Parts: sequence; C-alpha cells; structure tokens
Amino acid sequence: MSDTQWPVYEVFHQASRGEPHVHVGSIHAPDGDTALLLAKEQFGRRQACVNMWVVPAEAIIATEYEDADLFEHGTDKSYREAFGYETTKRAKAVGDREEI
Amino acid sequence: MTTAALAHNASTKTALIDLLYRLGDDSLIIGHRNSEWTGIGPILEEDIAFSSMAQDKIGHALAFYTLLHELGEPDPDTIAYGRGPERFRCCSLVTLDIFGDGKSAPPAALSNNPVRDRVVAQGDWAISLVRQFFFSEADAVRMAALEQSAYEPLAHLARKLRGEIKYHTLHARTLLPRLGRATAESRDRLQSAAAALYPHALGMFEPTPHDATLADAGIAPAEPELCDRWQREIAPIMDGSGLVFPPRSSPVYGGRTGKHLPELTEVLDALQKVYRLDPTAIW
Repeated sequence: MSDTQWPVYEVFHQASRGEPHVHVGSIHAPDGDTALLLAKEQFGRRQACVNMWVVPAEAIIATEYEDADLFEHGTDKSYREAFGYETTKRAKAVGDREEI
Repeated sequence: MTTAALAHNASTKTALIDLLYRLGDDSLIIGHRNSEWTGIGPILEEDIAFSSMAQDKIGHALAFYTLLHELGEPDPDTIAYGRGPERFRCCSLVTLDIFGDGKSAPPAALSNNPVRDRVVAQGDWAISLVRQFFFSEADAVRMAALEQSAYEPLAHLARKLRGEIKYHTLHARTLLPRLGRATAESRDRLQSAAAALYPHALGMFEPTPHDATLADAGIAPAEPELCDRWQREIAPIMDGSGLVFPPRSSPVYGGRTGKHLPELTEVLDALQKVYRLDPTAIW
C-alpha cells in the first residue's frame, strides 16, 4: 500500500551545545518549517534540547542491509576501533563529577 | 514603589490582584478549551502539539494563582475549582465553544463524555486555531510588557514563560499562512472563524478601573496600549494568510467584571465536576 500521508522527516536532537545531534525519530509534515514546529513537541518536550534538525527522509542515501557484510572485518582489526571516543566521554564524566 | 510596597499599598494591591485573576483565568480557561481536542485533534503530531500548549496554559494559570496565594488569596486549587462563573475574570474569547454554526443539533451521547462526543461530531478546528492565534499574540505582547513590571514576582514569571509563549505564537504563525492559502475550504473556515472571533478578541483588552493604577505604579501598561501593539503584530500575519478583518467590529466586553457568556458555565461544569463531588478530598 502506498503511503498517503505527508512526507517523512527524520528528527535529530542536540542536548547541549557542542554535543552531536542524535537521531530521535521521524514525523510526517507537509514542509520543513512545519516539521520543525511539530518535532519540537514530539521530541523536545521530554528531554533537554538546545537545537533540532529535521531532514527529509528522502534526502538520506543509505546502504542496504544485505550489504551489512561490507562493515565486517575479515581479520582482527580491534586496534583501530574507535573505542577512544567512549573513553574520552567517560574521562570527561569523571572530570565533571570531580569539579562538583 | 518597591515590590513589597506595591503588595502592601491598598490600591495597588487590589489592582494587582485583579490583574492576576485576569491573567490566571484567561490561561486556565483557554487551556481547558484547547484540551478538549486531546486525542481527537487533526493528525497525530498536531494533536500532541496542541495538547502540549493546553498543558502549558494550565501551568501558567497555576503560576498566576500561586502569585495570588502569596498575596493572601486562597490556594490555587480553591481558586481554580472553588469559584462560580461570576467570580471569574476571563475574557469572552477564551470561553467560547468550538461549534461555530453547528450549535443546533447536539448528537446523541456516544460515551460518558458528552463534551468529547460533541467535539468529535461538530468541533471546528479552525475556531481553535484562530482563537489560539489571536490569544497567543496577545499573550506575547502582554507578557513582554510584564517582563518590565515593577512587581518583581510577576516580571520574573513573565521572563520564565517567554519560551513557551514564543512557541505558541510560532505555532499559529506557521500554520495560519499555510492553511489560509491551501484550499478554498480551509481559507473560508479560517475567515469565518476570524470574523466570528475578532470582536471577542478585542474584548481581551477590556479596560478596567484598575488600568491607571497599574500603569502609574509601573506594574502593567493600560489595556488600550496593549491592544494597539497586538493589532500591529497580527495585521501582517492576517494579510500574509489571505485573511481580512471583519468591518466595524465592536469589542465584546463584560468578562473582566464577571459578566460572562453561558459558555463559561459549561466550561466550569466540566472543569469543576470532580472537585465539586468532594472539595475536601485529598489527591
């Protein structure tokens, strides 16, 4: 069955300045401004938010799930996995705690 | 005068209390009216947005009633639930129902909630949207002025509510131009609502005997001045939405002195129904 609703917009939410925008869901809306208006109440009201993006879902170019093997490692490459980002976050959290 | 002096001087205190009742009652009643759409609004996202704004307004009412309580008035629940219509000070705009011309034939009750049944059968979303437009623009003008109020608790509250009220104006400013220029039906519905509501909207600025006291004390600007500012804000938005003001509108006054339309009694019957069963019940 074809989708008879308005276009889908993907919604991205930023909890504080400098943090990455995180995908929080999607909504139907007739245009971008209305999408932002409605997204604010759908996704902005239950958590802190300083900035919101909406992106037409059709603008997203994605891989296919059948190609998920593209991302698999044939050999052990754990030495280059981006665990450092998480470590940085944990270190920052400890630092923030100690400031208090 | 300082905040403490304003609260102790008999004439400024009386005027301030009257102002806070007007602000609180407008907020409570429009919040309740808008909540009548909860769960049955047009499209899911808009239902949530509109219900959320209704919640905001109930919250604003609580904040104003809390300021009243601090000035020696009853507690907020008693203020909201314990007064008859003659003691309310809201304008007629917020009390109006959303049935437009569909008043003649109430449908048979479908459930134990006759108000909801009637909204489903006959509610006109255009009335709610245009009312929200007129009201939120007035709210923004009024609260911007109150941010400078000499009564600091009120100024503080006005600053705190700024963001929510900004969203309320953005809501109508986004939807009105789109619907006003969408189809002949959407335009006609909005235009009919605007024509019917405008005299009541002018009544939001009903002058009161307290205007001069409030203005002289720096608590709030006089109503006619706020009305001028409001008209300057809404004119370009009406125009941009392809909507025109009805010619020769005279304001509907009375609400600020407790002379209300029968609709307020209907609202309060619904709003106060549970409380009246047992006013001393603990929640």
